[in-house]
Amino acid sequence: MSFALLLAPSLLSALLALAVRPYRAAVGWANAALSLVAVAGAITLWVRVLRGEVPVAGADDLLRADALSTLLALCVSGVAALAAWLGPGLGDDGWGARQARRFRIFANLFAFTMLFAVTTDNVGFMWVAIEATTITSAVRIPLHASQASVEASWKYVLIGSVGIALAFAGTVLAYFDFVTLIGREAVALNWTVLQDAAPALNPRVIRLAFVFILIGYGTKAGLAPMHTWLPDAHSEAPPALSAMMSGVLLAVALYAVIRWQAVVRVTVGRGFAEDVIVLLGVLSLAIGALSLVAQRSYKRLLAYSSIEHTGLICVGLALGPLGVFAAMLHLLNHSVAKSMMFLLAGRVLRRYGTAEIEGVSGLLRVMPWTGGFFAAGMLAVLGLPPFGMFVSEFALVRAGFAAGRPVLVALVLVLLAVGFVGVLVHLNRMLYGRPPAAVTLGESSRWALVPLGGCLAALVVRIVAIVAP
Amino acid sequence: MESLFGQLVVLESSLVLIFGLVLLWRRRVPAYVSAFTWQSLVLGAVAITVGWFGRERELYFIGGLLVLVKGVAIPRLLGRMERRFATERELAPYVNTATSLLVAGLLVLFGYAIMRPVVAASDLPTRAGMPLAMGLVLVSLFVVVSRKKALTQVVGFLMLENGIALLAILGTYGIPLIVELGVFLDALMGFLVMQIFVYRIHSTFETIDVDQLDRLRH
Repeated sequence: MSFALLLAPSLLSALLALAVRPYRAAVGWANAALSLVAVAGAITLWVRVLRGEVPVAGADDLLRADALSTLLALCVSGVAALAAWLGPGLGDDGWGARQARRFRIFANLFAFTMLFAVTTDNVGFMWVAIEATTITSAVRIPLHASQASVEASWKYVLIGSVGIALAFAGTVLAYFDFVTLIGREAVALNWTVLQDAAPALNPRVIRLAFVFILIGYGTKAGLAPMHTWLPDAHSEAPPALSAMMSGVLLAVALYAVIRWQAVVRVTVGRGFAEDVIVLLGVLSLAIGALSLVAQRSYKRLLAYSSIEHTGLICVGLALGPLGVFAAMLHLLNHSVAKSMMFLLAGRVLRRYGTAEIEGVSGLLRVMPWTGGFFAAGMLAVLGLPPFGMFVSEFALVRAGFAAGRPVLVALVLVLLAVGFVGVLVHLNRMLYGRPPAAVTLGESSRWALVPLGGCLAALVVRIVAIVAP
Repeated sequence: MESLFGQLVVLESSLVLIFGLVLLWRRRVPAYVSAFTWQSLVLGAVAITVGWFGRERELYFIGGLLVLVKGVAIPRLLGRMERRFATERELAPYVNTATSLLVAGLLVLFGYAIMRPVVAASDLPTRAGMPLAMGLVLVSLFVVVSRKKALTQVVGFLMLENGIALLAILGTYGIPLIVELGVFLDALMGFLVMQIFVYRIHSTFETIDVDQLDRLRH
C-alpha cells in the first residue's frame, strides 16, 4: 500500500499530462498535488521502517524498503515535489504549452524511474530503472534547442548510456558467479539473496564485476574521471530538471554503488571496494574543487560543486560505519541544498538573462529574498554552520580520524578550503555592486520563494535535530 | 556432442567479435550498418544454439527477439539515417586505422587476461567464448571514444550492448527473462533517443561530426 502511494502518483501525473492535449494549467496543478501524495507515501514507508518493519511487495519481493531505500525515496519524492511546484506550466512563467506538457510527462517518468530504482530489491530492475533515467531526463534537456543544449544532451546521452551499459556487464558477471556456484534461481538477482550468498561467491569474479559496476554507476553519479558530461548537462537543463538531476539522480546512482559495495565487502573482505571508491572520491573532490575556482558561469559552478560533494560522499562511504552515517547525512543535505540552489539560479537567470557570473551584480538589491536565499544556500553548500552540511562534513572528518586516515582527512580539508575560497570570491561578485541598468528591481512570483525558504529551513532544522539529542 | 556445442559457440562468438572489428577499418556508414546487422543475426544464432544444446527454451525467445529488434528493426532505422547522411564519412578519426587495429588486438588480449578467473570458475561448455564477448565490449568502448561521427558512436554503443548480451548468454544461459525484457526495452528506447539527437545535431550543426561539439568548455 505504501509502495503504491509512493510510486503511483508520478506515473499517474505522467499519463495525465500525456492524455490532456493541448496542455492546461490544471494538469500542472494536479501533478503538484499528486507529488505531495508521493511524499506522504515515502513518509509512511519511513515510519514503518523506523518501527522495525521491512516492507516488501510484489512477486519475488520485487519491492523492498529498508532504511537506505526510504532515505532515498524521501529525497527523490521531496525534490520531485519541489520540481512539480516550481517547474514550467503553473501560471505565466515564460514557457510555452508544448514545453510545459513535455516537462510534465518526462519529469514525472523521470521521478518514477528513480523511485522504482531505490525501492526495488532486484538489482537487474534497479539497473533497468537507472538506465531509463538517462532516457527520461535527456529528452528534456534541450527545451530550447540551441547548439549548447544539443551538445550537452548528446554528451549526456552517449556517456550516460555507455557508462551504464558497463554497470550491466558487471551485474551480468555477478549473476554469472551466483549461477555458477549456487545454481539458477529466479530470485538470484535479488539484493537480499545476493547478500546472503555473498560469503560463498568467488572473490576474483566479484572483484572484476565491481570494477565494472563502479565505473558504470560512477559515470551516472558524476565521479571523476567519468564526470565530463555533468557540468554541461546540469547547466544547460531547465532549472527544475537540473534540480532533480543534481539533487537526487546523483544520489540514486550512488545508492546503486552502495548496494553492491555491501555485497562485495562480504565476498572480498573489507578494503578492496573501499580503496577503489576512495580513489575515485578524492579525484572527484579535487577536480570539483579546483574547477570551482575557474568558473565563469554560476550554473556550472553549482554543477562542479555537485561533483565535489559526490566525491565527499564517496570518501565517507569508505570510512567505516561512522563514515557511512556521515555520507548518508551528507547525501540528504546535498539533495535539499542543491535542488534549492538550481531553482534559485533559474530565478537569477530569468531576471538577468545571463548565466555568466560577470553579468550578475547587485543581486541583493535586485531581488533581496532570492539573493539572500542564494547566499545562504551557497554558504550551506560550502559547509558553514548553522546548516546541515556543516554537521555532515564534521562527522566525516571525525570518522576519518576514527578510521585512522589522518592524511586522507587533511587532503579532503585542503581541497574543501580551495573550493570554499573560490566560491566565496564568485559569490561576493554576484551579491554586491551596482545592478546592470537593464535589470528591473524587485521580486517576481513571490509565492515560489516559500518552498525554497522551506528548504533552507530544513537545512537548519536538521542540524538542531541531530545535535539536540 | 559437448565438444560440437563448444566449438560451434566459439565459432559464432568469434564471428560476433569480427563484425565488431569492421568498425575499425571501414570508413563508410553503410558498412557499419551491415556489420551491425550481421553481428546481431549471428548473436541471435548464438542464443538459439545455446538454447538448443543447453535445453533452455527461454533462449529461443531471446534469440528471436535479438533477430527482430537488433537484426531487423534497428538496422532499418539506421539505414534511414545512413541515407540522410550518405556523404558523411569517418575521414579522420582521432586514432588512425593501423593504430586502431593494434589497440583492438591488445584490448582483446586484455579481455582474455581479465576474464581468466571467470573462465576458470565456470564449467559450462560455452565458457571459452566469454573472453571474446569481453573483447567485443572493450573494442566497442574504444570505438565510441575514438570516432568522431555521432552515427559511428551510436553503432559502437549498439555493439557494446551486443557484447554484454553475448556475455550473458554464454556465461549464464541468459539472465532472468523478465529482466531481459526490461533491458531490451531500455536498449530500444535509448537507441530511439540517440537517433533523435543525431538528427538534432545535424540540424543544429549541419554535420554529425562531434568534433564540432566544443562550445561547452568552461
